[in-house]
Amino acid sequence: MKRLTKLMAGAAVIALATAGCAGSGGGDSNDSSGGDRTLTVWLMNGSAPETLTNALNKEFEGANKGVTVKYEVQEWNGIQDKLTTALASQDPPDVIELGNTQAPSFAADGVLTDLSGDVDSLGGGQWLSSLKDSGEWDGKQFAAPFYAANRVVLYRTDMFSQAGIAAPPTSRAEWLDAITKLKAKFGSDPQFQALYLPGQNWYTLLSFIYDEGGDIAKKSGTDFKATVNSPEAKAGLEFYKQLVDASGTTAPKDNDEQNPEQAGIYGQGKVAMMIALPWELGTAAKDNPDIEKNSSAFAIPSKTAGKTAPVFQGGSNLAIPVNSKNQDLAKKYLQLLLSDKYQKQLAEAGMVPGASTDLSALDAKPVSKAMAAASKDGKAAPATPKWATVEAGQNPLKDMLTAYLTGAKDLDTATNDANTALDAAFKG
Amino acid sequence: MTATVNTAVPAGTSSPAPPRARRRRTVTLGEKTIPYLLLAPAVIVMLVLLGWPAVQVVGISFRKLDLGELVRGELVWVGLDNYKAVLSDPEFWTITLRTVLFTAAVVAGTVLLGMLIALLMRHLTGAVRVILQVTLVLAWATPILATTTIFQWIFDQQYGILNKTLVKLGFSSFQGYSWFSSGTSTLTVIGILIVWQAVPFVCFTIYAGLLQAPKELYEAAAMDGATSWQSFTTVSWPAIRPLVTLATFLSVIWDFKVFAQVWAIRQGGPDGESTTLPLLLYLRGIAGRHFGVASAVAVLMILVLVVLTARYLQLLLRTREGDIS
Repeated sequence: MKRLTKLMAGAAVIALATAGCAGSGGGDSNDSSGGDRTLTVWLMNGSAPETLTNALNKEFEGANKGVTVKYEVQEWNGIQDKLTTALASQDPPDVIELGNTQAPSFAADGVLTDLSGDVDSLGGGQWLSSLKDSGEWDGKQFAAPFYAANRVVLYRTDMFSQAGIAAPPTSRAEWLDAITKLKAKFGSDPQFQALYLPGQNWYTLLSFIYDEGGDIAKKSGTDFKATVNSPEAKAGLEFYKQLVDASGTTAPKDNDEQNPEQAGIYGQGKVAMMIALPWELGTAAKDNPDIEKNSSAFAIPSKTAGKTAPVFQGGSNLAIPVNSKNQDLAKKYLQLLLSDKYQKQLAEAGMVPGASTDLSALDAKPVSKAMAAASKDGKAAPATPKWATVEAGQNPLKDMLTAYLTGAKDLDTATNDANTALDAAFKG
Repeated sequence: MTATVNTAVPAGTSSPAPPRARRRRTVTLGEKTIPYLLLAPAVIVMLVLLGWPAVQVVGISFRKLDLGELVRGELVWVGLDNYKAVLSDPEFWTITLRTVLFTAAVVAGTVLLGMLIALLMRHLTGAVRVILQVTLVLAWATPILATTTIFQWIFDQQYGILNKTLVKLGFSSFQGYSWFSSGTSTLTVIGILIVWQAVPFVCFTIYAGLLQAPKELYEAAAMDGATSWQSFTTVSWPAIRPLVTLATFLSVIWDFKVFAQVWAIRQGGPDGESTTLPLLLYLRGIAGRHFGVASAVAVLMILVLVVLTARYLQLLLRTREGDIS
């Protein structure tokens, strides 16, 4: 008995020394009944430009007497934790923006308002299909598309013309041919890279897999089964390796495009191409202002000549938390934000609008034009609530790429291991 | 926390054997409660800030608590289901074993290296010792993630200074060598990083103990013709032993639950081979948003830690004076 007491005392000592903080988050309550009402809107940093939101909020307040829009810009870093606590509070925001890979998990947890009845009034006819899928769970629509973006191949126009490449490649064969020509022209410089491609750029890998006709998972009902060991996925992985080998890129095989940040390396001026989001060119231009006028972009080429490869579409959804006390106002706000007028402004800011098929505003800049060209054929990550876990945790696709590219595993072992790990993640 | 603390009851403050009845009368109720009242604020703060979250974690470990339950404020008791789910997962046992071995290796490395530097410090002359001490303090004061980033750069596959140096020295096989391609190699790098950060504290603690060993004892030992090993075992070791025990105990707790460095280096990869228990907790709780399962992992972690530090706790509870040796 005495021994047990001692043991429990010991356990308490350690529990006290290691206890983290847990518990449900509170929140100050703010009753919306009566006179003036406040609509809290959370959009993400870098999504809608300030000119757009200022005009939008002004128009909304003008049309709805007595309503104040409390507009707050959130940071992507740590947003999942912040949303978790905010949604659990008594006074959550009324309109939120969700990353399209986060949306399914919030939808499946039943913390978002069902928008199935409002799809038409929110411009459903023009919705971007990949983002529509992200917001759908179990046959109901919980989130509306906001905007999307996809990767393009950024390239140096000056280097291309010096190497005698007349037009940007429009097929995989031409792409590899361009790499050979660039290496022949600039290869004497040991720091030169025809294509900067780190080992773990899984967004690019998905594009190649889609191009082969494959995917990383198959949906049946609300269940998903991984398919990264299919022949199509293997072919995509083989082409990725072919590109890495042909270009002789010195990018790390065991890391992704953020570590080190690839825009910084492109900015050093020794890289002829990189697969990136359009605005990474702006990041590169911070180090090297001249690089912007010497750069352009083309869509990731397909194995079929003249076509572009389907792309992985990243982007955002809009949703209304189920605890919101201003559901009616929130829906009106979404209607306005998803109207043609504001969707066009999004396109002018260089994003693929989620609720408008009019992409003409993107044609102004060559880099956005390349993105718009590829965006029609875009897919998102599997719309399973578990995908957020894969991305926030340990991504088997990254491990697969590194293992295959470094030769640690052969193609079959690497893809089978990743398939098993993904299936486990879909179940967990 | 040293052996010299004397908490024995001071003698001679009261006259010998006062009549019992008289004494009892003089102690009023107020006098009896005052010590407890004085203790109360500290105890209450401790209970609220440390005790309550700990109780919460145990409570949550018996509940199904995903985001949905959290938002709707539902209490769903599931009994031992969370524990069953965790314990029946073979990966949990692999990770537990890995964490224990990793902790043992890192603690052994930290304490041994810290002790050696402390012993070295005693033999150094003024200026050199100050330089060494300043270096140690700087290593200690550098923010964890800054150090971690520097280590990532050192071990970088293409641009890392380590691979470049090894190639220059003639080991051409290290051209583009990936230090993070296997779990063992990744954990070794993380282990070196943690030891590097933890050594200064252990070193200063043990050095403080060494300063308490009187110089005369070393001189006497030298006169008796003791070798340096003998003077270590007979003079230095008794002086630092309680502190080495303390440093080991604290290091076990710290290294067992270290998260930031392990996560920052490779997120527990490749293929989850460098995942430790704190990472599992994060993956289940924050990334997977199964707070109930994560709490169960947390409680199990505490149990493992109790087992690991059982010997020290036994000493701590047996010796009332806090005299650990």
